[in-house]
Amino acid sequence: MSNAVILDPADRSPAGAQARGVAQAWHRLRRQPSTLFAVVVVAVLVVVAVAAPLLAPYAPEATDFDAPLSGPTADHPLGTADLGQDLLSQLIYGARTALVVAGGSVLVAMLIGVPIGLVLGYKGGWYDRIGSRGLDIADALPGLMVGFVVIAILGRGMAVLVLAIGLVFCMNFARMTRAITLTERKKLYVESAHVSGLRERQIVFGQVLPNLAGPLAVQAAVFLGSAIKVEAALSFLGLGLGDDQPSWGGMLGVAAEHQADQPLMAVAPGIAILLTVLAFNLLGDGINDALSGRRTTGRRRTALLGRQRPPASPTLAEVRAAASAADGTADVAAVDAPPVATAPVGPGRAAADGDADDDRSDAAVLDVRDATIVADRPDGSTVTLVHGVSLRVRRGEILGLLGESGSGKSMLAKAVLGLLPPGVRLTGGSIRLNGTELAGCSERELRAVRGTGLGVVLQNPQANLSPVHTVGRQLVDVLRAHHPLSRRDARARAAELLDLVGVNDVQRRLDQYPYQFSGGMAQRVAIAIALAGEPDLLILDEATSALDVTTQSQVLDLVLDLRDRLGMAIVNITHDLGVAAETCDRVAVLYRGELVEVADVVDLFDRPQQPYTAALLAAHPTADADIDTHDTHHDSHHDSHHDAEVTA
Amino acid sequence: MTGTATGTAQGDAPLLDVRDLRVDYDVAGAAGWRRRALTVVKGISFTIAPGETYGLVGESGSGKSTTGRAILRLADVSGGTILVDGQDVATLGRRTPLAYRRDVQAVYQDPAASLNPRHRAGRALTETLARHGLGDRDERRRRAAEAFEQVGLTTEHLTRYPSQMSGGQLQRVAIARALVLGPRLVVCDEAVSALDLSTQAQILSLLTDLQSASGVSYLFITHDLGVVRHVAHRVGVLRGGELVEQGETRQVLDHPRHEYTRSLLAASPASHPEGREERRAERAARRAVTARAATAGATTAQEAA
Repeated sequence: MSNAVILDPADRSPAGAQARGVAQAWHRLRRQPSTLFAVVVVAVLVVVAVAAPLLAPYAPEATDFDAPLSGPTADHPLGTADLGQDLLSQLIYGARTALVVAGGSVLVAMLIGVPIGLVLGYKGGWYDRIGSRGLDIADALPGLMVGFVVIAILGRGMAVLVLAIGLVFCMNFARMTRAITLTERKKLYVESAHVSGLRERQIVFGQVLPNLAGPLAVQAAVFLGSAIKVEAALSFLGLGLGDDQPSWGGMLGVAAEHQADQPLMAVAPGIAILLTVLAFNLLGDGINDALSGRRTTGRRRTALLGRQRPPASPTLAEVRAAASAADGTADVAAVDAPPVATAPVGPGRAAADGDADDDRSDAAVLDVRDATIVADRPDGSTVTLVHGVSLRVRRGEILGLLGESGSGKSMLAKAVLGLLPPGVRLTGGSIRLNGTELAGCSERELRAVRGTGLGVVLQNPQANLSPVHTVGRQLVDVLRAHHPLSRRDARARAAELLDLVGVNDVQRRLDQYPYQFSGGMAQRVAIAIALAGEPDLLILDEATSALDVTTQSQVLDLVLDLRDRLGMAIVNITHDLGVAAETCDRVAVLYRGELVEVADVVDLFDRPQQPYTAALLAAHPTADADIDTHDTHHDSHHDSHHDAEVTA
Repeated sequence: MTGTATGTAQGDAPLLDVRDLRVDYDVAGAAGWRRRALTVVKGISFTIAPGETYGLVGESGSGKSTTGRAILRLADVSGGTILVDGQDVATLGRRTPLAYRRDVQAVYQDPAASLNPRHRAGRALTETLARHGLGDRDERRRRAAEAFEQVGLTTEHLTRYPSQMSGGQLQRVAIARALVLGPRLVVCDEAVSALDLSTQAQILSLLTDLQSASGVSYLFITHDLGVVRHVAHRVGVLRGGELVEQGETRQVLDHPRHEYTRSLLAASPASHPEGREERRAERAARRAVTARAATAGATTAQEAA
């Protein structure tokens, strides 16, 4: 087995021709019109602020006593203030004030808040308990009052204003940083850094802090907008900057004094504040979308890249591995024996024993022909995820769908269920359930089929049960969706179903919530829900992969019992050869979207026809004893052990 | 895999000697005030010789990962000793000597989570080397590149982000990080459980190759008896924080003495469909016996009450 080197599919990936994360985020940013608008507004604002002396027609405080409160004129496009100051110039210089105050105060808030949050979140325990209460107390103080107090003590001025607003916001940053750090510090990379021996300081600032960058950027953008509002409010009240400093809030204050004489004065600073705050908020949303978007589309993209590579051309290593594996199984399959006739294991088994390609297509519960599934890529091209796969499952038969990640096995199941994710489509072939064509069905037609014709059990039972409803309620809802039952009858039927899947103490269990069920019990409940519609076809998608071996064997045995009793067809999707060996009647092997081979389970394990299958079998480490490939390893160990004892 | 077990002679002093290890977790009570201790590892003892692989198997909640965390000094030890090279590390206090970090490393189950998503892969190695004061900037880069080569990656991978690599590649990076310091013991906590079968085979043979080259010891924590049979020289079976059985891997798996080991083996899927009906019947019988024992126990308890 040690020689079975199959190249990791992704190991062959074209050498990192990947765009940098920042470039991707920028790309996505540009495709959101609202964000683009925000970026433009902020950019204009920055340019105006920087170039204020060049753009402004007058100095902001220059007075023109000939035309106080003039209203728009040729000399003063926006009019003048009470001492004849040019409003346009004030507005332009006000942008400078707004940006400096907003930027400075958010910087102050981050410099104070982020370290506090990092320490509280990372240290946890008493630090966190006491520190968090401190944050709560600070949060309970009204922000503007804090600003008033700081200004009352330190006097008016730009620096004081920045500090005051920074103090108002720093607790928010601390709170958010603490929350994210709490989740980050439990992650494995932090533990790995510990094991590497890194200092706590290095871990907190070198490892954890970079992972906060995204959320912090969003928060900062939103707070830039809020800071401008607070600055305007304080300046409006005459508490912000000195009267000689032009600011939008101050302009509003003057406008309010003179609104009877010159009502238009408030319009320009009002619009400026509105646009700026709006722009920063939209920018925050945009960054948020771009960051979260990067995560999902990034993964999609790599997944697609993985599948886009030329499929199923076995490498030298694979063939060699397959060859050595074939040698290993040669003793079993050496004799040219006729196909091993296996004992019938279920009611439908006799039918399944026949040739896989007979033409009685009515006998098949599920008949997939030439199914081709493609995914759209962002640049408009498509990637084929499943290439013309044909499969048939009969009543009472368990068909294993075996493959590694990226083989398309789950996509195929999703296509049958009509649950393909957005951007992924079935482009060719047919999927018939009991003779009814499912390909091209509307959502409504599919829904009718899904509950009654089809049942599905997914990998993580806890995630697929609703945590806020009792198990009984979830079962009853499904039952009533499919059958005209009264609540009481549905509950009785739910109890029968739970009993059927081996849950004890049914009446009490019905009123419990999913978190009160262990993994294996929750999976039994999921099976009960799948059986509620009395489906002809049950799809198990890695249904036991997350379970312990003991629990796994119980659930698999339950599935076998149910098949024997109810005789439905089952598709068992798994990456585990052992699970396939223990449960399936026939096995279909998928590799990079192509059907490699379909065979009776015993034939497949005895005489794999394809190198890929053989290589997979060779790579399978098993717990049972009779595998000769292990002998080399153990013999060597025993020998050396023995030698050492002799020499000692 | 020949020659992987060069140092398993019983005459050698063990590299790791765990005696009566006990680990408690504090569990918050309902109100969050009253805390009670939950014993997760209940006094287990085992040794690992230099160059040996010891498999620790058990189901979730058996305390196998906690044992690994205690050895890595990530979980507080409540009782017993952990001797590494004769020195007790259970009583070291809060600070872990840097030399210990150099000697004892870890590889985790989820390679994507065990690497910082915001750092390039090579940085995980160079940063570690820098912390341990090994080499200057260029020397560290060279050693990182060497380590990458050793695990079958190229220098190109040094500058990639974790999101740009496959699971198998990431696990290779994690192994390179663990081995770059030249450790003597690596705790592999479900190190291959999340990988695809073919990738799993590659990583297992990589680990054994590296072991024969460097003589490193592995504590291999897994729920997968197949993996254990494949890599471990000796194995311990954990259940509910107690070591119910340990010994030579082949001895334990082929001739299990404890009932729990037997039931674990019965539950593990076989490598071939042949005889599965018998296995299914045997499992059903086993369950019936357990169920009868449980009900019998319940009735005795009732009668006693």
